[in-house]
Amino acid sequence: MKPSLEVRIGGLTLRNPVLVASGIIGYGREYERLTDLSRIGGIVTKTVTLRSRAGNPPPRVCETPSGMLNSIGIENPGLKGYLEQKVPILRELPCAAIVSVEGEDVGEFCELVRGVDGSGAAHAIEVNISCPNVGPHGMRYSTDAGMAREVMSAIRPLTKLPLIAKLTPNVTRIAEIAQACEDCGADAVSLVNTFVGMAVDARTRRPILGTVLGGLSGPAIKPLALAKLWETVQAVDIPVVGMGGIARGIDAVEFLLTGATAIEVGTAMFANPSLPEECVDAIEESVRAATYAGVDDLIGSLEVPEGRGVIRAGRGARREPGRHAS
Amino acid sequence: MNLVSCSVVSNHELNPGNFLITLKVPRGFARPQPGQFVHLRVGDGLEPLLRRPYSLEGFMEKGALRAVRIYYSVVGRGSRVLAQQEKGTKLDLIGPLGIGFAPRPRRIPVLVAGGRGVAPLLFLSRRLRERKRPFVFLYGARSKSELYGVREVRGGRVHLATDDGSIGYKGSVMDLLAREWTDNGHTPLTAEIFTCGPHGLLHAISDFARERGIRCEASLEGPMACAVGACRGCPVPLLPGMDSGRYPAMCLEGPVMDATVVDWARLP
Repeated sequence: MKPSLEVRIGGLTLRNPVLVASGIIGYGREYERLTDLSRIGGIVTKTVTLRSRAGNPPPRVCETPSGMLNSIGIENPGLKGYLEQKVPILRELPCAAIVSVEGEDVGEFCELVRGVDGSGAAHAIEVNISCPNVGPHGMRYSTDAGMAREVMSAIRPLTKLPLIAKLTPNVTRIAEIAQACEDCGADAVSLVNTFVGMAVDARTRRPILGTVLGGLSGPAIKPLALAKLWETVQAVDIPVVGMGGIARGIDAVEFLLTGATAIEVGTAMFANPSLPEECVDAIEESVRAATYAGVDDLIGSLEVPEGRGVIRAGRGARREPGRHAS
Repeated sequence: MNLVSCSVVSNHELNPGNFLITLKVPRGFARPQPGQFVHLRVGDGLEPLLRRPYSLEGFMEKGALRAVRIYYSVVGRGSRVLAQQEKGTKLDLIGPLGIGFAPRPRRIPVLVAGGRGVAPLLFLSRRLRERKRPFVFLYGARSKSELYGVREVRGGRVHLATDDGSIGYKGSVMDLLAREWTDNGHTPLTAEIFTCGPHGLLHAISDFARERGIRCEASLEGPMACAVGACRGCPVPLLPGMDSGRYPAMCLEGPVMDATVVDWARLP
């Protein structure tokens, strides 16, 4: 019998735990000829901001050893453009559409959540409080537990859609931020966004990126991402969506074992558009090999040496489906 | 545009540091236009991590065989790996991608190539010859040994320039362009420019064209992550007043663009 790969995030059931991360495939249509989206759980859209953004000056991307630095600057058509141009695309998607939003202040976050909720095309909202590339406000909501609380508690009453808070790894204690989001009604947290990084061209004596600093992603950050995931899954009961450097199917399994309820595929997909499908295959294979009934049994089943930590994340969601989906 | 597997038919170093690779593509691969590119995975590992965008030097159809050709220089990690791929190796590519050259009827195309930027212009020259359209081919390189494909150019008038004077005019191909324009009495209504090469050269050519109101298309080069318009990682800066409130994606609205609206000073 085919094992069940379904997972739940708040009131949202995904056909399997594989998502595509924000900023990778736009709103889905760009990749419809390259990736079979009907085989994966869902996609997270490019982040939508209240006003349209032209993005940062070039160069915006730079390859580094086993990684990529980016400084895109959330080029997007704004909420109005999203509603007019992107909602019709999302309605046609053969998988869940999780819409990523980012505001410059709490008021903007509220307006975005209302707008996306009202559009009817979103299955969940990923609250991007962690972008390193949009000036001073970008990361601050997820580097400070108090500010994360402010945003999450303001938007929670505005929607019944599952809210996933996307966190930055550029903090000392990511678990504190995750707990703050959980306390304020987040259905899940997703992590990690990119690590702040920089590249220099010694020949020209210039920084390579137009904005000097950018965000590092790709296989180089996988061990760092797993450590942040490990810290978080011991501290919260809500599902955690793991990402950071997944480049092979088996990497996705590593994140699930470490307690991620779902995973997001990012940078490595640029080289291999079939990677999300390969992740689904690898997860199914692991569930089957362990003779589990479903992926639930795989999630958090890492065998940790006695006294070295206990995975809590996702337990509540597994035992009480649709906890926040009132 | 599709993701297709391909195999190396040949991969040779033609002159020091410059290679020509021929890749067999499946029959379903769409016939590319000169100036279009492919996003090539240069090896099967995770190093390098990203694909590399390459303009096509040519497209071959012989019986059932379809193949694309890429003329490339070994300049970094991606091209170093590509240079090691031997005959029979399986790779994959996404393509054909982007916007190619679009010559207008009844104008003489003046092709201006700098260094390895000659690749898409050789492709264009062959297409023009097939259509029996006369053209002018101006080609500059550092030295005679770096010239590639010149003997192959048929159906057009060729002029060469080298920095060291080892063949043709000693100096920049930019000077050849200025002289060509004056000596042959071209006007914006009788001729137009198609160019590819180092961005410094393209900047100079676009200034020349803008000052005279000449239509000028340039093929741009730059790093790309997705190459299909999703990641927005390859922005092209435009001059003030030229829709400068946005950054067209080089992969979607290029790599061939109207050179006279590009803000070359802000394009690395």
